[in-house]
Amino acid sequence: MSETFVLPVGPQHPALKEPTSFRFKVDGEYIIDADLRLGYNHRGMEKGCEARTYVQDIYLLERVCGICSNAHMTCFAQGVERLMGIEPPPRGLFIRCLMGELERIHSHLLWLGVAGHEIGFDTFFMYTWRDREVVMDLLEMVSGNRVNYGMQTFGGVRRDLDGTQIKTLLEGIAALKARTPYYLNLGATEPTMVARIKGVGLLPKQKAIELNTAGPTARASGVDFDVRKDDPYAGFGDLIPFTIVTDDGCDVLARVVVRAKEMMASYDIMEFILKNLPAGEIRTKAPRRVPEGETVSRVEAQRGECIHYIRANGTDKPDRVKVRAPTLANWPATLYMLRGAFLADIPIIMAAIDPCLSCTDRMAVISDCRGNEKVWDWETLRQHGIDFHRRRGIRP
Amino acid sequence: MSLRLGAMLPEVFRHLFKRPATVLYPFERNTVPRGLRGRPVMDPDKCIGCRMCERDCPAEAIEIKQESEATMPDGKVKKRYSMTLYLDRCAHCAQCEEICPAKPDKAVKLNEYFEEAAFDRGALKIVYK
Repeated sequence: MSETFVLPVGPQHPALKEPTSFRFKVDGEYIIDADLRLGYNHRGMEKGCEARTYVQDIYLLERVCGICSNAHMTCFAQGVERLMGIEPPPRGLFIRCLMGELERIHSHLLWLGVAGHEIGFDTFFMYTWRDREVVMDLLEMVSGNRVNYGMQTFGGVRRDLDGTQIKTLLEGIAALKARTPYYLNLGATEPTMVARIKGVGLLPKQKAIELNTAGPTARASGVDFDVRKDDPYAGFGDLIPFTIVTDDGCDVLARVVVRAKEMMASYDIMEFILKNLPAGEIRTKAPRRVPEGETVSRVEAQRGECIHYIRANGTDKPDRVKVRAPTLANWPATLYMLRGAFLADIPIIMAAIDPCLSCTDRMAVISDCRGNEKVWDWETLRQHGIDFHRRRGIRP
Repeated sequence: MSLRLGAMLPEVFRHLFKRPATVLYPFERNTVPRGLRGRPVMDPDKCIGCRMCERDCPAEAIEIKQESEATMPDGKVKKRYSMTLYLDRCAHCAQCEEICPAKPDKAVKLNEYFEEAAFDRGALKIVYK
């Protein structure tokens, strides 16, 4: 007769360097059931947005995520632009798309490295991260910063591209384009890697649709959904051609393949953008006050569909901002993938959705064991944070 | 595609004869690109005291104060402003530079200095006056 017991994993360091907590019901090496607890990394950003002006919010929301910073910034900027009733000029839209694709390359290369590291293939990790430096340098050259690029603003983008930059970008993209098929082939031919990821973390197409998965996780299960194609934003749709990448493997190997092929698609998009960059202004003037109204803005971030809901009350501060990061959409599918898997596959199955936990964590109402509920306003939350650190001897 | 043991080995051996991908910082330095968003620098001679940078700063890292007021021989009042920058809060977003309306040259600009680490927090409070 088999005996099961519950194994807690996390919240400190549950395979990735971010806090989340799992409860695994295990029978020997097999996971029978998995449960997830979020909420360890709440930062009060949505509430913080309400106390700041739109211009300040764009930089705050950029910092929702270190990897998808441009996606969040774009999502918020285009939502507010819709409320303001302004449209960026074509050159601004092209540079907006270019930044999104550069960020996608950097994120996918980072993920390939992390996936290699999680399965103990650190050589792969070293090589992908070395090549990632090429795209990081390009991002730094275009925006002036390696992370948190600060390129998007209401009515367009903040920096223009000159001839030298376009030339350097094309050279960098060509170098990466020559390099990426190597990783794709390696993922499919290196026996140790294939043995470790093939058939692991299975998510059938029907389940992927039922559990509302987003991004490369969904596309690796054969779901051909991509915001860039299904709800085109910025220059996508009429101006910039785009092909969707899917795979029917439904396992971690398929997620590696989808991401590698998506990078190849991104290189083509970027080359098209740089060779067909329209002349003219990069931004239009935006008002400081936003007319009353509400909107939902969607962007295809590297990890999936990123949604921002913005409600304006006619002042220079938003009434409500809600951020739905793609990781939240992928958690139910992760739990499904973990059930029936081996204990040793937890890190790679978790890493395969490319989770970003601090982007996902939300908390507005705190209830104690007696059922009392208390809504924390921004000032109370801030004071709580200061007191919390002071009690631990950290000077605020 | 057939499986091939040691598919990575040729690449690994090739790298034995290549120079390292990293540089030995701080003994060697990479050059930073033009337009890197470094430290904000304010020129009090150019500041018109509109406080737009103070209002827009997402990190609340800027304080603008009026330092002096003098009546010029032609009857115009000339005011001089100082800026206190809390560099430990600065997010290097360059919104201060972007919003500065001073003409013909902006009063706040970001330089390309990036080595901002300090042992003492007080060293990160910079006053331009």
